[in-house]
Amino acid sequence: MPHFSDSGRFGQARWYWTAPYVAVGIFALTMLALVWLLQARDVETQRNAVARDVQWAEQTMRLHMQATEEFLGQAARDLAADALNLDGFQVRANQYIANNGELVNIVWVGPEEVVRWSAPFDTTDWLQGDPLSANQTEAFYRARDLGRAAYGEAYMNPRNRMVLEVYVPVRHGREFLGAIVGVYSIDRMVRHLVPSWFDEKYRLTLLGANGDTLAANSGVRAIDESVSYSIALDPPGNGLTLRATAFRTASQLPQMLPTAMIVGLSVIVLWTLWLLRTHVQRRVQVEKERDRLFNLSLDLLCIVGLDGVFRRANPAFERILGCSPDDLPGRPLLDIVHADDVPFAVDQLRRLADGQPVSFEIRCRGVDGSFKWLDWSINPVREEKLVYAVAHDITGRKAAEEALRAETTFRKAMEESVITGMRAIDLTGRIIYVNSAFCRMVGFEQEELLGSKPPFPYWPPEDLEQCWQNLDLTLQGRAPVSGFEMRVRRKNGERLDARFYLSPLIDSTGTQVGWMASATDITEPKRIRAALESAHERFEAVIDGLDAAVFVADARTDEILFANRAFKSIHGFDAVGRTVRGVAVPQPERGDYPVDPRGLTPADLPRELFDGELQNPLSGRWYHVREHATRWVDGRVVRMGIATDVTERKQTAEVSRQQAERLQRTSRLITMGEMASTLAHELNQPLSAIANYCMGCVTRIQGGNARDEDLLSAMQKASFQAERAGKIIRRIREFVKKSEPRRGAVQISEVLDDAIGFAEIDARRMSSRIVSEVAPDLPPVFADRIMIEQVVLNLVKNGIDAMSDLPAEHRVLVVRARALGPRAVEVAVIDRGHGIGEEERSRLFTPFYTTKTEGMGMGLNICRSIIEFHDGRLIVDDNPEGGTIFSFTLPTEIASERAAVRRA
Amino acid sequence: MSEQQSAAPDQYIHIVDDDEALRDSLVWLLESSGHRVRSYESAEAFLADFNLAMTGCLVLDVRMPGMSGLELFEELRRRHCSLPVIFITGHGDVPMAVSAVKKGAVDFIEKPFSERDMLDLIAECLAAEQASRGRRQLEAETVRRLTQLTQREREVLDLIIAGKLNKQIADVLGISIKTVEVHRARVMEKMEANSLAELVQNVLAADVGQGR
Repeated sequence: MPHFSDSGRFGQARWYWTAPYVAVGIFALTMLALVWLLQARDVETQRNAVARDVQWAEQTMRLHMQATEEFLGQAARDLAADALNLDGFQVRANQYIANNGELVNIVWVGPEEVVRWSAPFDTTDWLQGDPLSANQTEAFYRARDLGRAAYGEAYMNPRNRMVLEVYVPVRHGREFLGAIVGVYSIDRMVRHLVPSWFDEKYRLTLLGANGDTLAANSGVRAIDESVSYSIALDPPGNGLTLRATAFRTASQLPQMLPTAMIVGLSVIVLWTLWLLRTHVQRRVQVEKERDRLFNLSLDLLCIVGLDGVFRRANPAFERILGCSPDDLPGRPLLDIVHADDVPFAVDQLRRLADGQPVSFEIRCRGVDGSFKWLDWSINPVREEKLVYAVAHDITGRKAAEEALRAETTFRKAMEESVITGMRAIDLTGRIIYVNSAFCRMVGFEQEELLGSKPPFPYWPPEDLEQCWQNLDLTLQGRAPVSGFEMRVRRKNGERLDARFYLSPLIDSTGTQVGWMASATDITEPKRIRAALESAHERFEAVIDGLDAAVFVADARTDEILFANRAFKSIHGFDAVGRTVRGVAVPQPERGDYPVDPRGLTPADLPRELFDGELQNPLSGRWYHVREHATRWVDGRVVRMGIATDVTERKQTAEVSRQQAERLQRTSRLITMGEMASTLAHELNQPLSAIANYCMGCVTRIQGGNARDEDLLSAMQKASFQAERAGKIIRRIREFVKKSEPRRGAVQISEVLDDAIGFAEIDARRMSSRIVSEVAPDLPPVFADRIMIEQVVLNLVKNGIDAMSDLPAEHRVLVVRARALGPRAVEVAVIDRGHGIGEEERSRLFTPFYTTKTEGMGMGLNICRSIIEFHDGRLIVDDNPEGGTIFSFTLPTEIASERAAVRRA
Repeated sequence: MSEQQSAAPDQYIHIVDDDEALRDSLVWLLESSGHRVRSYESAEAFLADFNLAMTGCLVLDVRMPGMSGLELFEELRRRHCSLPVIFITGHGDVPMAVSAVKKGAVDFIEKPFSERDMLDLIAECLAAEQASRGRRQLEAETVRRLTQLTQREREVLDLIIAGKLNKQIADVLGISIKTVEVHRARVMEKMEANSLAELVQNVLAADVGQGR
């Protein structure tokens, strides 16, 4: 399984990689150290052996030399004892020299430092009579002085031989007889005093006091300087040093071998490691590329167990489905499958379990609930019990397919449902396509038409020539744009009219491959045209039947384009063609329009121009006129006007308006009555209270049980109530003041007309008649119209009420108005009722006095106040014919102006 | 007017009027005449104080803010209060007052009224109330006594009231005349009647009063 890697792991890996190298290095170093240690120990051992051997050699040499000293001493003693002659000396010396190879000469030197005897006899170095050289005498005398053997310096004798001399003194008693000298050849000492195996192992050298090599046993073989040992040679004691140096042994090469092998093996290991690393790096690179491929793939990649559970998923899941790839492992694949596709998916998974690779398309649910079409390709690996799945998001393709399918279906449906017949012919005139509408139109099956050549089966035999001509024109590309109108023979022999429109048929490469004809059955349109015409006639009949006058005029020129019968009958039958302004009365003025109709453009339409009532100044009739700006059939902007005669309706409206006005006045009167009632009630309260307090006091005083303070309090309360009553009265006065009248010039005849019109309602109820006798040309009076109207109304009603006891035919009330000179007008209301008695008359104007059951007793009082306010007088008189006359005067406008001037 | 001192000391005149001056002056007037007076500023205030044991009479203003006098009157009748009621009306309230009288109020008096009329009317009311109260007490007493009778005594009493003679009673009930006489004597005793006429009158009155 490939694994994810990141930089941290890479770093670690790199570190891991250095570890083997370091380990190998440490191992090699350790091994080298070990070898070095072993060798060092070896050398040490060797050195010890050398020391031992050298000490042994030195000892051997010393023993030899002591033995020689012994021999020489014996000879000296013999000589001193004179027991030795020359021959004997010779024999003994030669014999000894022969046995001891290191000795080259034995000489007896006389005390006069001259050689007396010398052996061997053939020696040339020491000749009888030779004096001692200077450096020899020092040892000679030392031996004499010490009385025992003394060694001289080693030196190179004239025969070029390095020699060492030992001097043994010869004494006879106190007499010094010279010395026996033994001469060692240093060279021979080295060669002969040590055994031969020593030569095998070491190079033995004798070093002088100043360190130069005096003699060596061998010089040819390589020596190992590191293994050497020096020891001072004693007895000579004059600086001779014996030194042994081991020869370089044959085991040198094997000693290097371990080191070489260690180094060699280490190198091999490192090389192998490097090879391994390179290999692993290559592997890692491959894995990384695979991971990158896995992670960067735009397709969904995943590994799923055969049990259908996600093992691994790539990040594309997050991009396409929105589910994090880290969440998916452990979830079943079916979790994300659209519920409808689950059985199908299960089927596919079963096939996978059988080891077959599958490929299918299903919908999968994203986290946000949307569904994606995914094209899955899955390969099972049975031995791993895993499947490797690749899914490609084909939602877009699916949508496109769906759209394409829908488009195709739609086109097909359109083609089938279109009612225009389509027919295509190739350039030779052969039919290559017909749609079903065309088949329906001509009644032939599609198979019968396809591939047929002209003359086509639907050509009517009677029109063949025309058809040929049309076809020729078509194929030449000269078919008229408006198409051909052709008669078509249906299969069942019927004929129908059709219109063919031709257009070139161009294929996708842009080449013309034929001609496409669309055929429309125009039988029905012909019938419709006829129907339309009759509908138009009906419409005209309706319009003409209207009572309202209808016209249509060009908005710009004002020319009448259409007028109905009513319009023509009002404004003349030659109206069409003339201008509205010229014929129509009444009509709105230009200023009545919200915009000038002449400036209207089609964009402003439709628009209301006028809606109002106009009076014909000639006939006096009222018309409701509505004008609309609209678009005429030819696209022009026109004014369309409808004028309805509303004279009757208007009169009715006028009557109802007057009635409403009267009602308003009635309610005003009622309000006044209510106010009076309320005031009466309010006055009742303090008055009753005052009476009660007073009577209570009276009762107590009479009963004799009156206490002053009680009475006082009651009387105070009574006076307080009296004040309260006073306040109420004041309020009444203020109310009256508030309803200050507004006076102006008033035609008294109009006032009377209004009042009488209103009172007539009552009069009719009471079966009374009101006669108005108003003098013509009365001057206008200066008065408040409403107030005077109320006074008249009140008086008229009183009069009518007064006559209620009379027989109906006598119930006539006269309202008379006449001028009293230029400055006053008198109005009189004359009834024929029961009249007013003398006593009644005195109380007539008392407030709240009434003779009526429903009355308040305020009417006449108020009337008088009103008239007096107008600078007039209200007078009551007996009617000489029976009944009463109430009359009042009002100043004329002129009079009041003068009065005003005077006042000013 | 000391002779007008009211007969029963436990009778109160209840005045309900929203106008403080009128109420206070009326209290003054009536107290001057020796009446006991209680005044209320509204119908609601009166109802809050009201109980069936109240005696005397009511003087109501017809027009009041809130519950009107007429409405209060109707409410009291609904609560089986039988106190006599006098309405005070202002100008124009007369039709209203008339309808109240038709519904059982004693009378109405129009403002501004004379104190004489008012006092007479009140005296009349108090007398009537006292009488009716005595009657009601007697009725209640009779009813209570009736409950003390045994079944047989009650049967005998019913037959006596039906005007039957002892003999007829004995026949109807199937008992001896002697026994009837014993029952009869016990009925008279229990009903505390002095005469047969009183017994019959009381029982019948009680029956009517209790709505039998």
